[in-house]
Amino acid sequence: MNINQKGFAGFFSVLALAGLLLALVWGQAVGAEEYDEDTYGPEAPIVFVAPVKAVIFTHKTHTMDAGLTCDSCHDEIFQMESGSTEQNDDFTMKSLYDGKYCGSCHDGETAFASNTRCTVCHIGVKGFDRMQGGPKTDAHGGH
Amino acid sequence: MKKISDLEKLKNEGVENLPSSERRRFLKFGLSVTGVFLGGSILSLTAARNAQGIVEVMPPQAQKFPYSPHYSMVIRQNRCIDCERCKEACVKTNHVPSYGYRTTILEMERETSPGESERIFMPVLCNHCNRPPCVRVCPTKATYKDKKTGIVMMDYKKCIGCKTCMAACPYNARYFKEEIRAVDKCNFCYDTRLSQGEKDTACAAACPADVRVFGDLSDPESRVYKLIHAPEKVAWVLRPETGALPNIYYMND
Repeated sequence: MNINQKGFAGFFSVLALAGLLLALVWGQAVGAEEYDEDTYGPEAPIVFVAPVKAVIFTHKTHTMDAGLTCDSCHDEIFQMESGSTEQNDDFTMKSLYDGKYCGSCHDGETAFASNTRCTVCHIGVKGFDRMQGGPKTDAHGGH
Repeated sequence: MKKISDLEKLKNEGVENLPSSERRRFLKFGLSVTGVFLGGSILSLTAARNAQGIVEVMPPQAQKFPYSPHYSMVIRQNRCIDCERCKEACVKTNHVPSYGYRTTILEMERETSPGESERIFMPVLCNHCNRPPCVRVCPTKATYKDKKTGIVMMDYKKCIGCKTCMAACPYNARYFKEEIRAVDKCNFCYDTRLSQGEKDTACAAACPADVRVFGDLSDPESRVYKLIHAPEKVAWVLRPETGALPNIYYMND
């Protein structure tokens, strides 16, 4: 009885281990590729708060998904140092339309034009507050 | 003479198909007979009109059109990025407390195709309706439609704070301002800007994306007039089924 039980448990643990291994190998081959920050840039989204609040940029979308490399943008279009670009006075939509910054690619040919699909990048004050931890409730709503 | 039993055999036509005036006469008659004459559906809160309301003949209350100037705002919705500078400007100009708003931005997510969605920001404010439900329900006439400009205004001294107007407003555009113990709302910056010679509202002036276009809808040379009358543009209003005949128009540019 006792031995029998042990054997039973052992059989199952072997089965579970094999399953786990299989899942791991299969996951590596078919599942999502691991995000490597050295190759693709910081995983955390960049959030610009100037000149307007707020614009979101994710490295993953541009590197891992779209196939750009670091030197596609750094350091000619964007300084590598975070927070440096939004200090420039000419970091405006006008500059983008003139082919600077995001507008280097977002010109309607390489990628969607800067004067279309505004809210793909613009997350607004609401989006910004959400990222800062929890949605800010509108005081008015409850009345 | 017809007997009641004969009348009962007639088909009930319902009230939906009666013209406003006839229905009004009928209601008036019924209510005066029963002694509860209130001159309309109680507080207007009962029945929302169906969508036919907007294509109906202009009711007497709304026959003064246009006002002069007929203030209106066109909101070019897809340009809004929720930077909320309009809100900041409004708060500063009109001393709006943090718990309320005269204008705000709503946010929604709309599915454009399976697995893809777009974010939409929708600025909202008082619609300065041609047939304002808030004015109709106010027991003290503290809120009224300005005879000249059509702006829905507040006389704070007359407001008793019953908040019926807040319940009646289809646009949630009113809040109770504790500091003055009265309801407060957008008045197109009438006291703070328009009467001081400014040509637009604080929110419109502050918008960096030119979302809010403010002006006189009765002037064919104004931007609002041109936008609204451009044949290639689709314009819409919020909650047309309420029959309030709003003056805030929405479009995508």
